Amino acid sequence: MLKSFYLSISVFLLTSIGCRQEDPVIPNEEELITTMIYTLTPANGGTAVTFSFKDLDGDGGAAPEIKTAKLIKNTTYTGALLLLNELVSPAGNINEEIEEEGQAHQFFFQTTGNLAVTVQYDDLDTHGNPIGLRSKLITSSASTGKLTITLRHEPDKSAAGVVAGNITNAGGETDIEISFNVEVE
Amino acid sequence: MAGICLLWNIPNSLVAQDCSVIIRGQVLDESTGIPMEYAGVYIQETKQGVSADSLGYFKLEKVCSGRYHIQVSHIGCENENLYIHLTRDTFLYILLHHHAELLNEIAVHGSRNDNSTQIVNSISKEEISRESNKNFAELLEKIAGVSTIKNGSGIAKPVIHGLYGNRIAIVNNGLIQAGQQWGNDHAPEIDAFMVDHLTVVKGAGALAYGGNGLGGIILAENNPISPDPHLHGLVNYIHQSNGRGHTVNAQVQQHRSWASWRLSGTFKAMGDHKTPDYFLTNTGKKEKNLGFQLEKKWSDQWNSRFQYSLFTAQIGILRGSHIGNLSDLESAIGRPIPFFTKDQFSYQTESPRQSVRHHLVRLENKLFLKNDQVISINYGGQLNERKEFDVRRSGRSDLPALSLNQFSHFLEGIYNKAGNPGNLFKTGAQFNFIVNTNDPETGILPLIPNYQGVTASLFGILQQQKDKAQWEMGLRYDLKSINAVTISKTLPRTINRYNPLFHNLNLSIGNKLQLEPRVNLTTNLGYVIRSPEANELYSFGLHQGVSGLEEGNPDLRQEKSLKAIASLDALAFKKLFFQVVGYWQYINDYIYLQPQKEYRLTIRGAFPVFSYLQTDASIWGFDMMATSEWNKHLKSTAKISLVSGQDRTNHLPLVYIPPPQVQADLQYSFGPNGVGSNSYLSLQGKQVFKQNRLEAGQDLLETPGAYALFSLEGGTGVSFNHSLLKFSFQVENLFNTTYREYLNRLRYFADEPGINISLRVNYSF
Repeated sequence: MLKSFYLSISVFLLTSIGCRQEDPVIPNEEELITTMIYTLTPANGGTAVTFSFKDLDGDGGAAPEIKTAKLIKNTTYTGALLLLNELVSPAGNINEEIEEEGQAHQFFFQTTGNLAVTVQYDDLDTHGNPIGLRSKLITSSASTGKLTITLRHEPDKSAAGVVAGNITNAGGETDIEISFNVEVE
Repeated sequence: MAGICLLWNIPNSLVAQDCSVIIRGQVLDESTGIPMEYAGVYIQETKQGVSADSLGYFKLEKVCSGRYHIQVSHIGCENENLYIHLTRDTFLYILLHHHAELLNEIAVHGSRNDNSTQIVNSISKEEISRESNKNFAELLEKIAGVSTIKNGSGIAKPVIHGLYGNRIAIVNNGLIQAGQQWGNDHAPEIDAFMVDHLTVVKGAGALAYGGNGLGGIILAENNPISPDPHLHGLVNYIHQSNGRGHTVNAQVQQHRSWASWRLSGTFKAMGDHKTPDYFLTNTGKKEKNLGFQLEKKWSDQWNSRFQYSLFTAQIGILRGSHIGNLSDLESAIGRPIPFFTKDQFSYQTESPRQSVRHHLVRLENKLFLKNDQVISINYGGQLNERKEFDVRRSGRSDLPALSLNQFSHFLEGIYNKAGNPGNLFKTGAQFNFIVNTNDPETGILPLIPNYQGVTASLFGILQQQKDKAQWEMGLRYDLKSINAVTISKTLPRTINRYNPLFHNLNLSIGNKLQLEPRVNLTTNLGYVIRSPEANELYSFGLHQGVSGLEEGNPDLRQEKSLKAIASLDALAFKKLFFQVVGYWQYINDYIYLQPQKEYRLTIRGAFPVFSYLQTDASIWGFDMMATSEWNKHLKSTAKISLVSGQDRTNHLPLVYIPPPQVQADLQYSFGPNGVGSNSYLSLQGKQVFKQNRLEAGQDLLETPGAYALFSLEGGTGVSFNHSLLKFSFQVENLFNTTYREYLNRLRYFADEPGINISLRVNYSF
């Protein structure tokens, strides 16, 4: 009785181990943001410069590619942010999703070091609060430092200082947080 | 139902409707054999009642022959219901579960009567149904040495002697509860109302179940349906003030000539819990559960039991604990009130939330052969569906961020030969097959890959009684194969296959020695080899829970653990019972998650990489429990538990080890004034110390400080027309203390709930 039971178990086992599993379906990662491009165009003419971050395979995997540029002192730039999902084809434009849910999103621009750069919002959501897809970047003296661009999902825009661009009380979840090394000359 | 009743028929002349039958008997404590003085015995049909004398003896005279429901009660005991067919003078031995904390009976080997050398503690049905508005794991906290690891009040999983998750097996009526054990935020999918008995085996030697029980095993068991042809049942309702929760449970059962059946259903709904100062927004929960049990005795040689249960839950997770990256975590930590806290109470749960469904089917067949041999052939099937929802962009919050389906089939054949009392031989073969599949609907690369697991096991257990010593030896072998298919993180996405094979061995030696009458020393030595699970080997991705990139390690070796545990159980001066359990565990190649120095840059900023590494670890500690009955009315209980863990290679304390804890209860009973009306009032106090073994940098935040909690409880009951109506109340966190728990992930973000008043009604017929 026992012997035959052990035997049937081992036969069962051997057949199952041989079983090959199907390939998993690779999910369609349409929500992913792979790319952020910050294009700065001098307000009174001149060549536009771009800061970009590309991580085509998403979190983990290969390291992202970051490109920076030099800024000119005492200049006002018109800033435009472009968010893309280049993992899917054709590339998905995430700007549309952010604009649609403007009240639930806000970019923050923070500088560290002596970087003589200020950023102002140049767009509004349906409640009249800033989003930050469009901005104005103003440089003063020659300096170097870091510019950190953060996108918060569901921030509390009514908290103190948030609409003025202070991230401290914003809350929400971070969808993007990228630091660029910036040189103003 | 819980105890055992022996009928000794004393020959007498058998007359139709003889109304001079005498019932005599003795009421004893099941765990110690001590007579239960002044126990109440009551025949429901005739309303005849009597109190036992100081030696537990009782006598009921002038009873007509017939079929009766007899109820036996005693202070601090679960009521015992018997159904008897009385034809002549009868002597009854009635065993009551008196010191549930001390019960040493249990089904480690399948039957209550097996006297095992395992170190176990259990919780009775009465305690379970009284507090089943709580989570399954939280109920187990009553046992010294057991704590819970939580993700808010809705999600709790048990920790035994400092180990949890993959290292603990939860056995639901003989079947290892399948599910996503790997996640600290995945609670076991069991409705405690459907369980008659909860037992924790603290050693590592319950070899009949296997399942990686390095730390211990939790047994959830149902009693057989009592052979009573009348319809019996109970209805429980619990209201709790914190979370404004409602819990309803109804159970009915009956024995018919064709079969016995039992049906149970539970509904729970609660909303946002509240700390002393603010609402914990989005911490509501809904649960709908169903259970069905059917028992059929085909012949004297063969009986079967079928069981089906369904567990469904919708659980909200504190909104303010949902974070996108490390900066979010830093700004959320240390806020006086969590982000997203609302001023109003709500029953709504929004993302982040979990939706879980668990089906379980079990078919048990027992064949009784000559010479006390039993063969059982059992099948168990489970389907676990888990969906977890995050806050996502553009309406994707309704799409799960994690969606897993787990199918499992379990088949076993067990041979059991009982000899003289204390002698037993048991052997069996088991086969387990698991398929775990991610649903690609998430649009996110899965954290753990799709995999199949196949395990074939053989075990044997031998028990021998030699004079005052009982010996037990067990051996188990598991052949385990994992077949995993992962998706690469780099482009182009490719599919990789892994197919490791492990040989796991378990060994256990136990001894139970009677040093003196009513003084037992139980020792157990268990050696367990646990192979790494799929998450430890192959997980990869952003894990919100740890705020880092979690990276599996396909090169992990098996964990090897040796656990020595000893328990001294004693009864002194007839009134003082105590149990001291000491243990020491040595784990080689202990698998743990270690944050690396390396940070990996993502579009959400830099995340630390958490890798699965191995080290050598030791865990040691003790649990102590003492119960004293000062007089007929007053009973007190004290419990202490202490556990320590050390990483011996890196000379660091282990994280997630529960802090030391002391508990004391004082209970005053007003009974027995009539059967069933067991009125009581009790005060409980618990002091939890600060976990101060950790070194700076081992945690994001300093461990929470010590705290003391008090609770008050009381109840009474009335019986009428064959039924019993019980009322009780409980006030938890009596002084509305603000505190945080080290083993709750939400401690980074919010306080624990404040005062909670529960009102309970229990009607049984």
